[in-house]
This record gives sequence, C-alpha cells and structure tokens, in this order.
Amino acid sequence: MESAVSTHGLAKTYSSTFGKTKIEALKGVDIEVQRGEIVGILGPNGAGKTTLLKILLGVVSPTAGHASIFGKPIGDANARQRLGYLPENHRFPPYLTARQTLDVYGRLSNLDDAYRKEHIPRLVEEAGLADWMDTRVGKFSKGMMQRLGLAQATLNDPDILVLDEPTDGVDPVGRREIRDRLHVLKSKGKTILINSHLLTEIELICDRVAILNKGLIVRTGSISEIVSEGTGWRIQCRNMPLEFDVKRFGAHIESGNVEQTIVMDGGVTETLNQLIDALRSSDTSILSIEKHRKSLEAGFLDIIDEQGAKK
Amino acid sequence: MTTTDQLNGAQKASVPAPTYLPLTGSLLLTFRELWAMKITQGIVLVSTLAWILLSFAMNLDVVEGSLAAVRIFGFDAGADELVKDPQTGEFVRQAISVDKFIVGISSFVFGAAYFLGTLLGLFATMPLIGGFLEQGRIDLLLSKPLSRNRLLSGHLLGVLLTVLALSTYLILGVWMALSIKTGIWIPKMLTSIPLIVVMFAVMYSVIFTLSILTRSTGLALIIAYGLIFISAILAAHEQLTPVLSPSAAFVYNSFYHLLPNFIEVVAIQAKLVTGEAVTSWYPFFSSVAFGSVVYGLGYFWFNRKDF
Repeated sequence: MESAVSTHGLAKTYSSTFGKTKIEALKGVDIEVQRGEIVGILGPNGAGKTTLLKILLGVVSPTAGHASIFGKPIGDANARQRLGYLPENHRFPPYLTARQTLDVYGRLSNLDDAYRKEHIPRLVEEAGLADWMDTRVGKFSKGMMQRLGLAQATLNDPDILVLDEPTDGVDPVGRREIRDRLHVLKSKGKTILINSHLLTEIELICDRVAILNKGLIVRTGSISEIVSEGTGWRIQCRNMPLEFDVKRFGAHIESGNVEQTIVMDGGVTETLNQLIDALRSSDTSILSIEKHRKSLEAGFLDIIDEQGAKK
Repeated sequence: MTTTDQLNGAQKASVPAPTYLPLTGSLLLTFRELWAMKITQGIVLVSTLAWILLSFAMNLDVVEGSLAAVRIFGFDAGADELVKDPQTGEFVRQAISVDKFIVGISSFVFGAAYFLGTLLGLFATMPLIGGFLEQGRIDLLLSKPLSRNRLLSGHLLGVLLTVLALSTYLILGVWMALSIKTGIWIPKMLTSIPLIVVMFAVMYSVIFTLSILTRSTGLALIIAYGLIFISAILAAHEQLTPVLSPSAAFVYNSFYHLLPNFIEVVAIQAKLVTGEAVTSWYPFFSSVAFGSVVYGLGYFWFNRKDF
C-alpha cells in the first residue's frame, strides 16, 4: 500500500547568515505514515518536530534525504494540493472576517467560486462560528482562531492534515470539539499528523506516535505499545503493618497512612499473587486491585530520560 | 485545468479549479490589507479633497486666455505674477496665462504626488511585507499549492496596482478638474502616473528584498529613504565630478550609475508636465535597471529561504 507520508534520511541543518553557526535540527529521519492514520509527533522543545512538518509542507528545504506525499516529491504543487495545514500560532489578517479569511485561503488553495460558496458556510458552522461569520477575526479569541484555523486547514478537503499545536489555547470544551472533529476526519480516511505538547490530547486522538529527540526518531509505536512499557498493578489496602516489606515483591508504597497504595511496576502475575497472599496473612485489608497503566506522558518522559542516560 | 476530482480522489465532486485562482487570492489579500490601513484611506481622502477643492471651491475668470481672477471659497487668491519688463527692467504685475496656471498647479500637485506619494507609499507598504513574512502567516501561505514566485508576484502586483490606482485617482482627478474648468486639455501630464508607479516600484524593491533577506522592515525602510537622500547628492554629479579627485570621482560616478536616481527623475517629470523636451532618460532607465536587479535578488532569496 502506498504510504501517505514517507521520509528517508531527512536531515536539516540551519546555518546563520554567514555560516558561522550551524544547528542540526534533523539528523536523518525515516518515517512512514499510512493512509488513514493519526500520528502524533512528540518531542521536547528543539527536537525538530516543527522542522519535520515544515519540510513536508515545502516551507523548509531539507539539507539531505527525501520525502514524499502519496509518492510525489514534497516540492510538487499537486502534492501540496492534497494537504491541509494549521500552523502553530497562525496569524490570519485581523481585518478579514471569518468568511473573507476562508475565501482568500480557498482561492490560494485553488478552489473555485462555486466550491467556496458551498463549503465555507458549512465549515464556519461546523467550527461553531456561524454567528461570527462576518466579524473581523481580529476580535476572535484564541480558541475561536484555532477553530477557524482548523476550518481553513480542512477547506480543500485534504487527504493529509498537518496540525501544529491544534489545541493550543483552547478550553476543554473546545478541545473536545476539535478531537471529535478529528475523529470524524479519521473516519473519512484522512491521514492526520499532529504535533502537540499536550500529551493527554495525543493519547486521546492518535493511533501511533513518533518520538523525536535531538533531530532523531527515537521511538515509534502505537499508544498502547508506548504506555504498556512498565505496566504493573496498583493495590489499595488498609491497616498494612508498618514492618511489611513491599520491596521484596518489586513494589513501592506510593501514598497513605491509614489507606496505602502499593505500586508494582512491570510485575508478573505470579509475583502479584505472592504479594496478595503476604498481605492477607498480615491481616491487611485489600480494598482494590487494578491494572496500572503508565500515562503517555510518563512513557514519553521515560524514553527521553533513557536517551539522555545513553549519551 | 486541474480538478479537485483528479487531485483528491474519485469520491469528491468534480470542481474546476482554474490555475489563476491562487494568484487572485494573493492579490486580494494584499488589496484588503492595504485598504485596511489608515494611511491608504488618508491618501484617498487627501486626493479627494484636492480634486474637490479644484472642482468646486476654485473659480477661474478667464479673459482672452489669461486669468483675470482666481477665487478659492469666494476669496480672491490673486491671478497675477511679477514679471520683469525687458525694456524698463522694472518688475510689473501681469495676468497669468491659463496654460501657465494649469502647468503651475499640476507641477505642484504631481510633484507632491511623486515625493510624498512615494515616501508615504513606502511607509504604508512597509508593514505589509512585514506581515506577509511573519511566522504563522508565511508558512501557511507557502503550504498552498502555488509556487513561491507566484505567491510573491501576487503580493508585489497587489502593491503596485494599489499605487497605480491611488496615483491615477489623484492625478486623473486633478487633471480632469483643471481641464474641465479651463477647457484646456494637456494629456501629456498624465505620463506622470506611470512615472510615479515605476519609481515607486524601484524604491519598493529595496524594502521588498531587504525585508526578505533580513526580516527587518524598519531597516529596509531606513535604507530606502537613505537611497532617496543619496540620490539628491548624486543629482549634482555634473557640478561635483569636476571638483573631485579622480579616485573620488570614480567612486561617486559608480554610485551615480549603480544607485537609483530618484531626485533626477523628478526633473524628467517636471519636464513632462510643462511640455518641455526630456533631454536624457538615463536617470530613469538606470533606476529601472537597479530595481530589476534588486527584485531579482529578492526573488532568488525568497525561493531559497526557510521560513
């Protein structure tokens, strides 16, 4: 199957005006994104996430390697016709109304009058901005701007949507609306690439993540793969004797005086059963036992820390 | 002609997408931004006042081809001038000829349009290129399916068409008001319009290219104004070259030939308005050559730059 996005050995070095300072933003990135996937690009600040997205959009030229969109090289105008983009901190001209903004960007996307006339009111309504259709965007809140930005990015009914911090500055209700919209787009077979610092959002939206650190992809995998590393158990109990040693079961006590939470990272079921037996024989009341799943944020931080320790 | 059907798959409605559309989008963006600026609206207001003043507030009494009286808002503004009598050598008051009056008014208005129009125009368009190159805006524009050259051309064309519209509005309005009032039509005066637009384009090339290169529109404006100032010094090349040492004269002349001759072109414009023959178009063409090279560099850098 043809990949929606494919990069091989993609590298980018930024040079200062006289070439004195060089910054390697990407050091050979290989990534394949299949049609219909939602992929989150994660990484600490300066990892090269925005550079990677900008190379795919033709905004930044790679120093080495190559990238393609549906098999077409990234510089190809036809390839860009299939893209929708929401930049980070996008700035729509403040003197344009929501309708005029979409009209101008629709023209720039090569969409004819009839298409724009039909789709702009629908998109503005879907963005929850119907009452603001003819209001200048200079008066819009950050959340409204993000929703208008997403409407702009989807105006040309793109096959690939590239979103840089789409929920930045949006309140929880707005974030849920954006998530719902992205799920609808996914159900229509759209491929979505998201760069976001809000890992909880990524966890809720994405099928797969690629973690970038210092210009390199250090891990790719599904959310469940990333968060399952370090899976364990959480046992909530009461009246545990002070001398009870949880460490011999590879566990630790997270909190509590009267009620305690014992956390077992990566323990096997056999060890869990041994711990439960030991607790019962010490007259400890077991209140609950639940599978402990690491959050994406914890998984992400572990991977970045692991990379740091390797250096 | 491409269709979104071809581009996005068979499930979509076939929508013809003419290829000129992205260019119109870029043009529209520039027009709207310029119109949203108070300075553009101010220029339109001042131009409107100028031709309203000439059309309705000024009354001319013409007697045998000379002005007997000029009244502005009903007040006598004087219709004579001091002229030296060749026989007696004394200054005497003499009625101004209508032709001379028109040429005088036109020279003033068109000269002001050339100087103030260019200076204000450069000042007004400076934030425009700055906004165009702003992060969050330029990256979105570059992600659209049009080449960088077309995107930049749309911006440039929008600026130049706006300057053309503004100068036409002022000059054509003033010219028509004067011509209708006096019955004397001098179409040559209208050559000021393309001259103003071309010289604005030459000076705008500096702002355009330096903004792309440095992203500092303030610096670009200072250098553009600096070149206008230097052109005033270069305009005196016939007087200055003989008194300079050979090496200094070489440097001075190099600048004269390389840099735009903004001030010297105003003399060409004055001659066009008064109907005198233009003896040399060199300052104009060397300025155009300068602008062309600078625009070429601007396009070159814009195509190579990462945003």
